Amino acid sequence: MRALGLAVLVLAAQPLALGAQADVAARLEGRVPPQVVRAVRDIAAATAARGLPVDPLIQKAIEGGAKHVSPDRVIAAVRTLAARLDQAAAALHDGGIATPEADVVEGGADALNAGLSADQVRDLVHASRAPYDPAVTLRVAATLAALGVPPQQAVELVEATIAAGRAPADLLSLPSQVQASVARGATPAQAASGLGRAAAHAPGGRPPREPPPGQSNPHKP
Amino acid sequence: MTTGYHPLVKRLLDGELSLAELPPELQVEGEEALRLVGAVDRAPVTLPAALEARVMETVRRHAASPARRAWRWLATPRELELRVRVRPWSLWAGALAAAAALALLVSRAPEPSTPQARIVPRDRVYVRFVLFAPGARRVTVAGTFNEWDQNAAPLVSAGSKGVWTTTLAVPLGQHQYAFVVDGRRWVIDPAQPAVDDGFGGGRRNSMVAVTAQGARTL
Repeated sequence: MRALGLAVLVLAAQPLALGAQADVAARLEGRVPPQVVRAVRDIAAATAARGLPVDPLIQKAIEGGAKHVSPDRVIAAVRTLAARLDQAAAALHDGGIATPEADVVEGGADALNAGLSADQVRDLVHASRAPYDPAVTLRVAATLAALGVPPQQAVELVEATIAAGRAPADLLSLPSQVQASVARGATPAQAASGLGRAAAHAPGGRPPREPPPGQSNPHKP
Repeated sequence: MTTGYHPLVKRLLDGELSLAELPPELQVEGEEALRLVGAVDRAPVTLPAALEARVMETVRRHAASPARRAWRWLATPRELELRVRVRPWSLWAGALAAAAALALLVSRAPEPSTPQARIVPRDRVYVRFVLFAPGARRVTVAGTFNEWDQNAAPLVSAGSKGVWTTTLAVPLGQHQYAFVVDGRRWVIDPAQPAVDDGFGGGRRNSMVAVTAQGARTL
């Protein structure tokens, strides 16, 4: 079933791949060295052929050019990002989304980039039943991880919030609540623990697991 | 001072009873009452013309102006009874029209959720970027919202305290960005979460989510 879904996606994406090549070259011309244009054009064409969004690849190349990063590093970063998009699409498929939209794939790639594993991405997508948007769920978890919350704890906090039946707006406010707690002196892990306990005390909630000792804040000293 | 006559005496004065019809104990009171009433001068009184003119002038002076009367007429609460006879289809049409108008209003102008953002056309939101960079000569902001063009969005120095700021119309969505100080140093926004930019060397980008409700840490 998964193979069939991916095959349909690939066939439908073939015309997009041809258009993507021309578009990529036009957008990169003059912003990055010619070898980067050629490499990114090929990577983007292959990515588009698999039905995945190519705009993040172009943006990454442009960013590399703007930051005067060496061509090799720009190409490597674009390749890594393309692989993350692939990995995210597979995790989304495993989570129950056969043909994910571009923003969900990009959200998955962001989550992977922030330190979540493919299994965690899959679990989050699986937990994101309506009215929760999987793209938003993934972005929230990615942002929590970027704030320094350990990835597993970020995933559990998001899942606990969903399980407690809190409003989607409450989910969106988690990162700013963590930031506020950190500003008051808590570590990101402590802040997330407090929010997790609050979610568990809501009707229908369940408590998230506590972070293992010594791993409360792996992203920050 | 007399506080009042007996009710039967009052009826006597009103002509409803005769003095003989009063009980013996009220006879004296009845006679006294009749004597007093008979002594009253019943000649008509005519007021001098000057006095009447003076009184009327005072009354007119204290009377409300036309504007005041009109305001009082408008402001005084009144009871109104409204009887409406409608056909069912017109009720449904009205409800649909009201729903359409409400949907139009809601879709047009959602309120910003943060003080740093306000709403512009539907797919963009004004977001304020602030960096504290004392000693900097030039600060810009570049990111996915302006194709990482480090000349597209210069910040303005807000006084001499090293605070640089700008407000940009940013498309809805998740964005990565960084400040560029003096055209060569890329600096993340300390107020926002950051992620590895993927190029090695430990460089990072700040993240911001721009939603229809404003910019937020997401």
